Parts: sequence; C-alpha cells; structure tokens
Amino acid sequence: MKVYIDEEKCTGHGRCAKYAPNVFRLNDEDGYNADAGKTIDVPVGEERNAALGMKSCPERAISVVED
Amino acid sequence: MNGSSPTEPLDQETTPEALIERFGRDLVNDFDLDDPVFNDRFDETLNFMAHKCPVVHSKVGKGYYMINTQDDVRAAAQDWQTFSSAKGYMPNRPDGLPYLMPEESDPPIHTRWRRVLNPHLSPKVCAGYEQVVRDDANALIDKFIDRGECEFISEFGALLPGWAFFKNVLGLPIDDLAMLVNGVEEGTFALDLAERARNFGEVFEYLDKHLQWRSTQPQRGDLIDTILAGVTYDDGTESPWEHKVSILVDLTFGGIATTTFVMGSAIHHLATNPDQRQLLIDNPELVENAIEEYARFFPPVVALGRTATADVEVAGTSIKEGEFVMLTYACASRDPRHMDEPEKIDLSREGIPHSTFGVGPHRCIGSNLARIELIATLEEWLKRIPEYRVKPGGEPTYVTGFLRSMRTLQLEW
Repeated sequence: MKVYIDEEKCTGHGRCAKYAPNVFRLNDEDGYNADAGKTIDVPVGEERNAALGMKSCPERAISVVED
Repeated sequence: MNGSSPTEPLDQETTPEALIERFGRDLVNDFDLDDPVFNDRFDETLNFMAHKCPVVHSKVGKGYYMINTQDDVRAAAQDWQTFSSAKGYMPNRPDGLPYLMPEESDPPIHTRWRRVLNPHLSPKVCAGYEQVVRDDANALIDKFIDRGECEFISEFGALLPGWAFFKNVLGLPIDDLAMLVNGVEEGTFALDLAERARNFGEVFEYLDKHLQWRSTQPQRGDLIDTILAGVTYDDGTESPWEHKVSILVDLTFGGIATTTFVMGSAIHHLATNPDQRQLLIDNPELVENAIEEYARFFPPVVALGRTATADVEVAGTSIKEGEFVMLTYACASRDPRHMDEPEKIDLSREGIPHSTFGVGPHRCIGSNLARIELIATLEEWLKRIPEYRVKPGGEPTYVTGFLRSMRTLQLEW
C-alpha cells in the first residue's frame, strides 16, 4: 500500500503521526508531515493505523495511491 | 397534497414557519450567532443545521452566510484565493479595529509569519511544556481539593490555558492575566459592539507596551523575539510595528479564549457520566482519543469568517463578491455524511475527522499546546479527584457568539 501526502494541503495538524507513528513522520521544526509532497510505502501490518491517520486528517491531505 | 410543487423538494422541517415554531426564528434565512436561543439550544441547533442546512444566511448588521457541511467548509478554507481572510474573521467587525496578523491575512503575508511562528508551537516544543503544565494543573487543584468543591472555570479552566501560554510560552507575569482574560471575553462577547472594540483596545495597549519593553531587553530567542525580529514581505518591505503587536494580540485571543470551553465541557461530561469517567480511569490510553472527541463535540470556535473575492456558489446558494461568509467548524465536526451518530459523544470513536482547530492554512497555531493542556487536565484531575459531581444548582452556564465559552461550573466531591 502506498499513500501520497499533498504538500499544498498539509497544515500541520499532526493527526497522521498520532494514529500511525510507524507510517507518518512529522518534521521536528514545524510539525508538518515530513514526507509532504511524496508518495510513501505503508509497512505491512500498518494499513489500519494508516487508514485512521488518513481519516483523522482535517485537510484530507493523504490519499491512497493505486499501484 | 399540500400544494407545493413536486419539482421543488421541500423539507417540512426547514420551512420558515417550522423553523420559527421550533427555534423562534427562521434559521435558514435569518440566523444570528448572538441570539440567546443559539446559546441555550446550542447542540440542538448545530445538529439540526449539520443535517438539514448546508448554507444559512444572517441578516444581522451587514449580513453573513454560514457554510455548514464538512466538505464545503474544507473546500472554502483551503481555497483562500476565493475566501479571503484579509477583511477579518469576525462578522460585523467593530470599525477601526486593526487587522490581526497572521489570522486576518492571506498568503503570502500569512505564510511569511507562520513560517517563523510555527516552530515555537511545534509538537516537539510543546511536548517540552508538558511537565510544567501538569505541575500547574496540580498547583491549581492543591488550592481547592481539601475544600471538597470548586467553581471549575474561575479556579481552573480559565487559568490553566493562560498559565500555559503566558507564563510558559511568553514569560509574561500571571498577575496581569485576569485583566487580559476579561478583555478577551468582553472583546468577544459584549453585546455592544463599541464595548467589544474598547476591550480589544485595552488588550492591544497592554501587549504593545509589553512588546516595547521586551525590545529594550536582552534577547531570549523566544516567540516574542521572533515577533520583534519581524519578517520581510514579498514586496521587500519589513513588517511594521502594528503587525507585530497584532500578532501578540491574535495569539492571546487564541490562547485564552478557547481551550477553557473544551476543558470545562469534558470535566462536566465526566462529572455527569460516571461510566465514562471509569472508562478513562481504567483505560488511560484512551485519554488522547477522548480529547479529540471532546474537541469535536465542544468547539470553542463555532465559526470563523472569510470574505468572498468573487461571485461563488456553495451548495446551491449564490454568494456575491464582497459578502461575508462564516465557516461553521462546529457544524462540520458533526457532519453525518462523515461519521456515525455525530450527535453522540463516543470517547472510543475511531479516526475523528473534526474541524475544531480549523482547516486550511489558518489551522490553529496553538493546537499542539491545547492538546497538551487538555490531556494534562483529564489525567491529573482523574488522578486527584476520581469521584466528583456537579454541585446541586451549579449546572454550567454558557455564552455564545462566533466563539462559545463556559462561564461557570460548580463541582463537589
């Protein structure tokens, strides 16, 4: 499973990393998603956490990328 | 047949007559954030609008629209080019009030400021304040725990957020906090608009003086020094002094006029729902999720405004260039299209898509600090006072406009 984090939409709510700390990392300096603008792999077994993180994002900044 | 045209689907619950009978006014065409009925029947009104009214209009003053669905609120909040913050966030803004940076600006001015301010309130920096916030919470509880009762708002809920922001983040003397809290409250909720402006003015004056004093002191490398250093705007000009003062005013309003409501509401909910209190005591790992649910259900920022920069249509309603539009975060967080049973508090709710900290580039800059204050409050309170209830006759009282706040809550144990 791959997900894309939209750099234009991420405004640093930090919900993704709260629900899926093994998937999403926050930038130490400002708390925005450290991979904003990129497509990242969701580790096997972390799909459910990733989905919760995506659902909790008020900006809908994260979307699943079809292979 | 009732005579209405079948080509015009008419919801019997949203006809002017039905609305006037139920709410005392036509919510769809004549809403008023400051109507006492909205304050008294807050949950009922939000739930109703979230289900039935994608957009409502107010005739108060210069008039304003309110956008109520989560998708439309998000779309408008993210589309800052069409829904501008540069003419302010308050409906019927008092004349002569300076605009508050960065909240009442658009990119790129907004971006310049947020880039330098965000690091002072990042998750990592705020985590560093957690222990002192917990210590503050306990120091407040120490003052009343042996009495067996307290007035939660004046003895805890209005103080902890002020201490967290003023004492810990800004390094301001907490002796002056009461004056500022009152100025912020009256500046927001006073029914007389001139009274609002006068209170705003006092807060401006105090913070202007503090900023002037700090500019004569050795640098500390803190948030205030960052404000004093200023930013360079895209046209090459340096941010003027009044912008710097307004940033401190904006942060002050955000820092003390908001978190108290979530705090008081959560403590009240747990006072009246012993099973939920026990759930959190038995499962402390649920507290963080509970905070999100409380923030969703008890939104201190009911709605914030934008100004349309072009003619635009939202959910079938035409909005003209220059008209004022409120983004009703409180309704968006109860949108039945995005969650089951939004009108119920479910502390175990999974993946809570709420808008309480706003949406788009103006996302609440203090959200990370507010969450720490709320988690510390629930955890420390339940450790110290696991059994408590509302004192008979001490039910919470509220005040509501575009913000909502709890004024009093009497507890005993």
